Amino acid sequence: MTDATTEMTGSGGPDPSEPAVELAGITKRFGGILACDQVDLALRRGRVHGILGENGAGKSTLMKVLIGLVLPDAGSIRIDGQLRAIHDPLAAAALGIAMVHQHFSLVDQLTVWENVALGEEGRLRSTGVRDRVAAISEQYGLEIDPDARVGELTAGLRQRVEIIKCLRRDPHILVFDEPTSVLTPEESEQLFSTLREVVAAEGRAVVLVSHKLDEVLHATDEITIMRQGRVVDRRPTGEADARSLARAMVGREVSLRSERAAFGIADIEEAADSGTAAEIEEAERESDTGAEHRQSAETTPSNEPVLRIEGVSVRGRGGARLLDDISLDLRAGEIVGVAGVEGNGQRTLGDLLSSLIPVDAGRVVVNDSAVRTSAPGAMAKAGIGVIPEDRHDSGVVLDMTVAENLLMVDPHRVARHGVMDKGQVTETAQRMIEEFDIGCSGPDAPLWSLSGGNQQRVVLARELAAEPDVLVAAQPTRGLDVGAIEYMTDRLRQTAADGVAVLLISSELEEILELSDRIVVMSRGRIVGELSQADANLETLGLLMGGSTE
Amino acid sequence: MTRGARVAEWVVLYALSIVVALAISSVIVEATGGDWWPVLEALIDGSIKAPGRWGETLGIAAPLLLVALGTVISAKAGLINIGQEGQLLMGAAFAVFFSFRIGGPGPLNVLLLLLFGALGGAVWASAAGLLRYWRGVPEVLSTLLLVFVAVQAVGYGLKWQWLLLADEASRGNRNLVSEQLAKNNRIPRPDIFGNEFPITVYVALALALAVAYGLARTVWGFRLRMLGHNPRAAQRSGVSSTVYGATALAIGGAFAGLAGAAMFAGGGFSFGNYRLVPGFSDNIGWTGLLVALMARERALPAVVAAFVFAMLRTGAGFVNSTGVESRITDVVQGLLVLALLAPPAVVFLRDRHRARAAATERV
Repeated sequence: MTDATTEMTGSGGPDPSEPAVELAGITKRFGGILACDQVDLALRRGRVHGILGENGAGKSTLMKVLIGLVLPDAGSIRIDGQLRAIHDPLAAAALGIAMVHQHFSLVDQLTVWENVALGEEGRLRSTGVRDRVAAISEQYGLEIDPDARVGELTAGLRQRVEIIKCLRRDPHILVFDEPTSVLTPEESEQLFSTLREVVAAEGRAVVLVSHKLDEVLHATDEITIMRQGRVVDRRPTGEADARSLARAMVGREVSLRSERAAFGIADIEEAADSGTAAEIEEAERESDTGAEHRQSAETTPSNEPVLRIEGVSVRGRGGARLLDDISLDLRAGEIVGVAGVEGNGQRTLGDLLSSLIPVDAGRVVVNDSAVRTSAPGAMAKAGIGVIPEDRHDSGVVLDMTVAENLLMVDPHRVARHGVMDKGQVTETAQRMIEEFDIGCSGPDAPLWSLSGGNQQRVVLARELAAEPDVLVAAQPTRGLDVGAIEYMTDRLRQTAADGVAVLLISSELEEILELSDRIVVMSRGRIVGELSQADANLETLGLLMGGSTE
Repeated sequence: MTRGARVAEWVVLYALSIVVALAISSVIVEATGGDWWPVLEALIDGSIKAPGRWGETLGIAAPLLLVALGTVISAKAGLINIGQEGQLLMGAAFAVFFSFRIGGPGPLNVLLLLLFGALGGAVWASAAGLLRYWRGVPEVLSTLLLVFVAVQAVGYGLKWQWLLLADEASRGNRNLVSEQLAKNNRIPRPDIFGNEFPITVYVALALALAVAYGLARTVWGFRLRMLGHNPRAAQRSGVSSTVYGATALAIGGAFAGLAGAAMFAGGGFSFGNYRLVPGFSDNIGWTGLLVALMARERALPAVVAAFVFAMLRTGAGFVNSTGVESRITDVVQGLLVLALLAPPAVVFLRDRHRARAAATERV
């Protein structure tokens, strides 16, 4: 313990060519799933190390091992060449390891400097902490007002507070877990330049955990790629390109088009150096699903709307208008995108079509008959399938099995006289698991044991199995990785091609533009504009979303 | 973890906590001038070993199990019903009212008496259900407070002859007492190996199987569990929280009411000897709640749990006769109850911790 502290404060430290951290043979098993399988990893001073992988590839588990949140089943950790056991986060902190988590742990009611001082021991001196915050923010270009209340800050600024909290402890090794998931492109840019600063000027080792190819290519010096708990590849960033990384990460070819959503921030380099690649993609797209879809949409023209939302208004608590006189028609075989900045009524629209809330005015009509709003299961019965925005809220029951989750909406189909046939339950579930390629240890696995992407597939499988006339997909690819996004996108196209009316609610404009035949824009609970696919582009949508009605 | 390992873990946990409770008890008994060995012997004698005792224990286990089963059902719907004591008393009162004011003699009346008991409990629990789904009153409060209303209401009923009070001839010099149930209206108590217990024991066992099966295998049970785990997903899937929740509360109450009726018509001196008297419920409702807790709200484990709690009760009676002060016996009993509840709590906390760790792992 004592030599760990001296090492931490000692500015020179040991031989800089030695790895700062060396993980060897790290193995961790959760139940039947191998989260980390013999993982080796070396982090060097003065370098940004990217760890790339899909959701559930084991990168988070690996980092949790490093900071003492998870104890490995096997393997060793060396810090500056010395074998260490990291039993808890305090031990990790003593060794100079710090992590900026994906989810912030800040107290909203407190100010920035108070949050930074939290967890300190001894007497609290506000001037000292304030000065330190100011010094750090100046040194790294992390501009922030130490007296601002954290609850009033944007996500980007809150992250800055987290980073300052970390830097204040002067860590040798800094881990960033999916840091850009909450940031705007500009904020991400800013973050990466800070990252550079931290590394180059001071010889710290930085880890950037991410599933976005683009930012890994942009901000790291070397890359380790993980898949299904194993390291599948590692290489210097200079020798990597998006396509090969994507292949290594997913384990097969993927169309870069559907990745764009996953990469998040605008993919500048890609556009700059691969003009031809983009053309090839375009051609690929036209030749497969895109063309098919368009064709089938033309060959099955249908003028009768399947779903009609007629003048629906919903008021929230305190009379706020969550939905304000919304009218919308959906025809079979078309995908209608609902674009908008989040918090403009999209969630309420999803809840309405999930029978979760009543309307104050207007009605919802499916196949020419009005559906009772907020009557339990009425929308599902009328033929509306829903992939909800937050699947843990109304999409799945975490404490039930995969099979039970697959049969939630219509258990009668595997029951006789009200008794569920165990054999049929297992058989039906098994069939759906295979058809939708749901990664789980079997129909009886508890749902919480599945990764996010696989939970989403359970929802998709269930909703499609009910053979709906309308499918509502709210933020269907949020938080998913490249492979899962591609899968979901293809499924939605296919569903529409099969004659289902699809309502795609998304705040990812790329996704909306790519999939929709028609786009409506929501702002403050109203539909402020409707565009055909041909007329829509980022600019027109952006203007409408901003609330400007021409 | 394999099934065998899990069972072994439970056995070890229970053994450990009971040994600890006994150790503390013995220290207390010795410190207050008693001998702990006779106390332990008395506990075993009183609950199973002495002639006729395990029958007595079964007679107490049956209503405990019934109460616990009702608790399990409401708990599965995500409702916290803690008013079984009152629901049980109401069930007994309904059964009494039926027996002396409506029904006549004969076996059919025994059956009807039990059904009336169940109805009484259901009505009482439904009052809480109504408050919950009509006005949004938390059921954990209303069920609890309705216990005290039930005690007062039954006390009031026992003051009026047209309600529950016995006529002067049959109540002798006692007040607040119902008539005694006629012999041909009682639940049979066959004698097996010198042990006597009412046949409601079998009914309770059959119901335990039925509840376990119903919750695990029927569509109704499936939807009820869905409601308990995630009300919004249930609403979306067509499960009405009002219908299913209110039904679950009513059924929970019905089980407690049935237990009350079975106590009244099943005999046993501690249960008023076929009469309704003040204090008739004798904590069976509260203890039944503990049984469900110890069984971690599952029907089949509740069978074992009910028997164990019944053993504590019958055994404690014998401990009193060893000359140990009755307050000390209470302490010993309390320690044993704690010992029985500790392992589920330990396992629950650990599982929740693991589940959370696993869940954050997969986000």
